[in-house]
Amino acid sequence: MRRLLLLLYVCLLPLLGGCGASLQSDRHDVERLLLIQTMGLDRQDGRLVMSVSSGLGPDEEPALVMSASALGIEDAIAKLQNYSPENQLFYAHVQYLLLGRTAAATDLKSVIDWVDRSPTLRMDTDMLIVRGSARDAVADTSEQATDITQRLASLERQARSTGWSVHTLREVAAALSEGLGALCLAVETTPTEQRVFTEQMQSDAVVPTGYAVLGADGLVEFLSPEQSLGAELLTGDPAGLLITVEGDTMEVLDGSARISGRFSSGGALERIEIQCMIRTGVLEKAPGDGLEPEALDAALSETVAGWVSGALERAQATGCDYLGLRQAVLGQAPDKTGLEDGWPEIFPTVPISVAMDGRVDRSYDLAE
Amino acid sequence: MDEHLITRKQFAAAIAVSLLSPLLRLLPQTAVSMAGRGAWLSPLPALIPVLLLSTMLESFRRHMRPGEGMGGLLLRWLGPVAGRLALLLFAGWFLFYGGFILRSGAERLVSTIYPSSGQTLFVAATILLCLAVSLGPLQAAARTSVILRAVLLTALGIVILFSASNMDLSRLAPFAWRDGAASVAGALPLASVCGVSGCFCFLSGYVEPPKNGRWLLGTHLLLLLLAGVVCAAVMSVFGPSLTATLTYPFFIMIRSISLGDLVPRIEAVVIAVWVCADFMLVVMLLRCAHEALRSALGLPGPERLPMKSLRSGRFLLWLEAAAVFGCSLLFDLPPWQLRMWSDRYIPLCSDCVLYGGFFLLWLVTLPKRKREEKR
Repeated sequence: MRRLLLLLYVCLLPLLGGCGASLQSDRHDVERLLLIQTMGLDRQDGRLVMSVSSGLGPDEEPALVMSASALGIEDAIAKLQNYSPENQLFYAHVQYLLLGRTAAATDLKSVIDWVDRSPTLRMDTDMLIVRGSARDAVADTSEQATDITQRLASLERQARSTGWSVHTLREVAAALSEGLGALCLAVETTPTEQRVFTEQMQSDAVVPTGYAVLGADGLVEFLSPEQSLGAELLTGDPAGLLITVEGDTMEVLDGSARISGRFSSGGALERIEIQCMIRTGVLEKAPGDGLEPEALDAALSETVAGWVSGALERAQATGCDYLGLRQAVLGQAPDKTGLEDGWPEIFPTVPISVAMDGRVDRSYDLAE
Repeated sequence: MDEHLITRKQFAAAIAVSLLSPLLRLLPQTAVSMAGRGAWLSPLPALIPVLLLSTMLESFRRHMRPGEGMGGLLLRWLGPVAGRLALLLFAGWFLFYGGFILRSGAERLVSTIYPSSGQTLFVAATILLCLAVSLGPLQAAARTSVILRAVLLTALGIVILFSASNMDLSRLAPFAWRDGAASVAGALPLASVCGVSGCFCFLSGYVEPPKNGRWLLGTHLLLLLLAGVVCAAVMSVFGPSLTATLTYPFFIMIRSISLGDLVPRIEAVVIAVWVCADFMLVVMLLRCAHEALRSALGLPGPERLPMKSLRSGRFLLWLEAAAVFGCSLLFDLPPWQLRMWSDRYIPLCSDCVLYGGFFLLWLVTLPKRKREEKR
């Protein structure tokens, strides 16, 4: 009996190979796999346009870039597969998800649902909103020596070191499901003819332009670069951001915000107070004598307070609490349930005051 | 110690491994959709029904004679007719539940790793494996469960450790009274999962007698602790609202884990390892159903026989495996319907049979037990 069983097991072993012929139909031939690294989505004439780019191949083969117009995501995937029958398109290693302006406005929910159900794509995929078309970003920025994935990887490194935050689909989905708004880094593509090429370097083809505001139904608006800086100071770690105050170029060394709520004796939220601190270092001084240190500190405080107020004003105007104010004041609220349930009505009208403490480190003055 | 008996530690491991299957089926999604932000505190209110169940099961165990399981006790206490009816009811539920576990395990595996595959192949392979193990000695399954417990808990630990960078603990707070009250609702699925341990008292005759009455409590506490940790981890990654809407939030969380560039994705391994929990639960349910049917039909006790032998009522195991496979075919449903069964009907039926059945038994046999205790 034991020998018979052993023989049976040995006969069954060849069926276990996942890469060749086997009983299960989800096998992947490694030689035929084409790893998709960047995916872009647009909505055009009522149809979904999916654009994909594989990474650069071995021996500097250019990336394979394809685009298909379809009824939905699954349909687009099937079409793209037909365009490249010799390869098996594999989406498990998608690093960047680009949503064009149109898709971000209408398809955000369906994208989140699809990633939830997809056995391959990760919720932690980096998501960016393209001010124009994602198709252009994927197709026009892929050249012989580089491709959109490399450009986005470079942009991400640059963004992280210069204080911008790159958000993942999970972060956006979590914020939206809580009924709050979400921020997502917006990018812009530079048309090829406007780029300056030299022998050593190419100019940026994809550049960050601040944040896009996402609401429950999709894209709400794009913040201006200044409002985006204000939002970054309130929500993220702004260290590394480059700002210009009174002609001086400064790097943000440190920044933080303390948000507190003031409540009436009945427990109602009367106002929100935000105390911000920002510390910068001057990188490049404007020609001339410039301002006295105290005056420069005051100018910094005033300028950045304006940016923060701009971000707050847009948040209240759109009703999207992408700055996390509800979460910040909820802990102090005497009536948490009332505040949480009534937040959509409270938030747009609650007075918010901003106090800014700005300080410029002027190490180049030490000699004086 | 009788060398044929399994140790209490092995028995506790078998219960813990088996219950990890329904635990991660209902957690964190069902618990969070019921309890909201307070789901990670649901293990605290769940302690009350679980403590009552542990006390009730211990009370039954104290009245069992050496080598006797719940089957013998039911016949002794309820008489041949009512006792047999109760045994058939329990056995029927074990087989039905086994079928559901097989199907839901296959659905989880297929929808998360093998989207183009059929579930029946996985169900058939698992039931054959479960039958092979059930035909062998219970000690072998119990020893296996000790290894599986270590493997599963290590996998769980790795998942939580590597997800820590994505966690934002502020998503678990602030805490309003409403959240505290809601956490009581989240205790229902947890209590239901722990209630499945009631099946295992049918195997008490094969377990060395415990030194005290707290033998089951430790396993329940471990499971409730794991439930709290898993809920807190997943909620702090996705937030309560998103956790409640995702299909398999725990496994989606695993999808984002990578061990550097060396191992970019580990979800296939972890999800495949989780099949071991389904496997162990079905093995135990087969054995529990076998004990119930063996007692009901008055068949002789277990003997060490070759695997192919059909003597001493072992043919029943083949029939039970076929019944479990048949029940699993009943659950060949679309994913949303299977989810509804998983979240509502199965826990409800399980609570009725196990909590309700045992409580009824405890109530009906109260005078008899008092008489026995006086003697």
